[in-house]
Amino acid sequence: MYLTLRELRHNKWKFSALGLIIFLIVFLVLFITGLANGLANDSGSAIKETPAETFILQKGSQARLNRSKLTDPDWQKFQNKYHNDVTKLSVAQMTIQKQNNASKKTDIAYFVINKDSFLAPKSVKKTDGNQVYVSRKLESDGYKVGDSFKDSNSGKTFKIAGFTNTESYSHSPVIYLNNQQAQNILPDSKSFNAIALKKNLTKRSGYQVISKQTLINNIPGYSAEQSSLYLMIGFLYLISLFVLAVFFYIINLQKISDFGTLKALGTKTGYLVGHVLTEMGLLSVSGILVSFLVTYLIKLKMPASMPFSLSLTTLLGTGLLFLGIALLSALLSLIKVVKVDPINAIGGNN
Amino acid sequence: MPVLELKNIVKNYPDGENINEVLKDISFQVKKGEFAAIMGPSGAGKSTLLTIMGALLSPSSGTVLLNNQDISHFSKKQQTQLRLNEIGFIFQNSDLIPYLKISEQLQFIQKISNKKSTDAIAILKQLGLGHRLSSYPNALSGGEKQRVAIARAFINQPDLILADEPTASLDSKRGREVVQIIQETVHQQNKAAVMVTHDERILDLVDSIWQIEDGKLNKVNK
Ligand SMILES: Nc1ncnc2c1ncn2[C@@H]1O[C@H](COP(=O)(O)OP(=O)(O)O)[C@@H](O)[C@H]1O
Ligand SMILES: [Mg+2]
Repeated sequence: MYLTLRELRHNKWKFSALGLIIFLIVFLVLFITGLANGLANDSGSAIKETPAETFILQKGSQARLNRSKLTDPDWQKFQNKYHNDVTKLSVAQMTIQKQNNASKKTDIAYFVINKDSFLAPKSVKKTDGNQVYVSRKLESDGYKVGDSFKDSNSGKTFKIAGFTNTESYSHSPVIYLNNQQAQNILPDSKSFNAIALKKNLTKRSGYQVISKQTLINNIPGYSAEQSSLYLMIGFLYLISLFVLAVFFYIINLQKISDFGTLKALGTKTGYLVGHVLTEMGLLSVSGILVSFLVTYLIKLKMPASMPFSLSLTTLLGTGLLFLGIALLSALLSLIKVVKVDPINAIGGNN
Repeated sequence: MPVLELKNIVKNYPDGENINEVLKDISFQVKKGEFAAIMGPSGAGKSTLLTIMGALLSPSSGTVLLNNQDISHFSKKQQTQLRLNEIGFIFQNSDLIPYLKISEQLQFIQKISNKKSTDAIAILKQLGLGHRLSSYPNALSGGEKQRVAIARAFINQPDLILADEPTASLDSKRGREVVQIIQETVHQQNKAAVMVTHDERILDLVDSIWQIEDGKLNKVNK
């Protein structure tokens, strides 16, 4: 610590520059992680946040809800066995518009559910006639509680009874309909897309049985977005490992003769290793903390429609992972420090 | 009893297929309060000899007695400990740590050592560096830097002081001043000191002179 603090003080600018690099990289990692999580939510939160564990689809529907069609005999089989642990689900991606403004249309996803089932968000209550509960995401499209909207395809109008959370399916806000309401909109109201099950099930002959995560992974666009973003994040970690290793190596290379002198004067190698690690650790921790702060401030300023979500656990996890990367990148420099021969101090040839 | 005694020291360096015998059967001693100089042409092995005296290098054979203790087979760890507590080094280019203020150059040694602290500021003031205590090395002249290096060598109260061409980067007037300071401090504090030099004009300041040539060390009559 004695050497570390004094060296940081004396070479403020050099080390600030290194801290700035760490900050920029961590910030970028956090930002993309937040975006990946946000997009994941935007893609499948209406499914993800339900207590359902398993979905039963028509055989051969390739884990896609819109390719699956089940009928009443199917439903009977499962209901007889699982009772209240199963419920029907239909999803339809459609367009709505404001009643008095036909040019402003919004893509939405209808979820046809039973309001008493486990697929219904807590805030969905019994409604009559054309009253529906909708995802709060619709708010950013200018809809308020009490507003009416028109289903573009059928021309049927509904009135917003209240908002649920920001449930979303394939980047569209979700509108919860009951069976009755769906009959006016969906052509074939006798059939439905899937059966949601609150239990774990892997197989049932005659059906495609998939986990909730498999269903989400097969929502159009979900896998492509997530894998490209996580590829970017992975590369960022790799790049930072190398960039920091090179920077730190160069900085320590300049100090090799000082390390030789310090060893000749009787400084233990362990002390110098501690010095180098503390230096890197302090720089990384300050870079990481500043990036936490900036990410937080930016999140406050971000519009609600921007898909961005970063939990405290992810934030801290990213910080720790990065600290590990930074210390790993100091390894090359440490080998150099350990190898310095104090004999170089004598002879004046350094 | 001498502070440092070398007996039949041999040092070989591998040189391709051959071996380069740099030091051949060298014996040497220096007593408390004695300031010894080692002279010799470039490449004669003066630095090699000093690194063996300073526990930076082990001899190929022979014994090195520091305060009657054989240190020639010490482990790296023991050598480090020994250098910290028993030996003071003055290097050719002073080799101060660039990011430590002048007073901190000494404080650091005191910090990593478990020896009883002496007054670092008083030593620096005594060497005429009172106005430089919170300067960094790059603000100092060559002579001032070398005086800081002297203060650093003495701060831990070692029994043995080793200096490798301490005047090499100074003009002759400054060089003489620096050697004078070493001489006075050695005599005042009753230490043993060995200085490698090839400046003959400062030989009047030392107590004994040794000449190294062809791997042999001989005492020269003053
Ligand atoms: N680490 C080493 N490996 C091989 N040869 C060395 C090494 N260090 C010094 N030598 C050789 O030992 C001889 C004496 O070197 P040195 O002690 O530095 O002489 P001086 O200090 O008197 O100029 C030289 O011939 C030099 O090439
Ligand atoms: Mg030399």
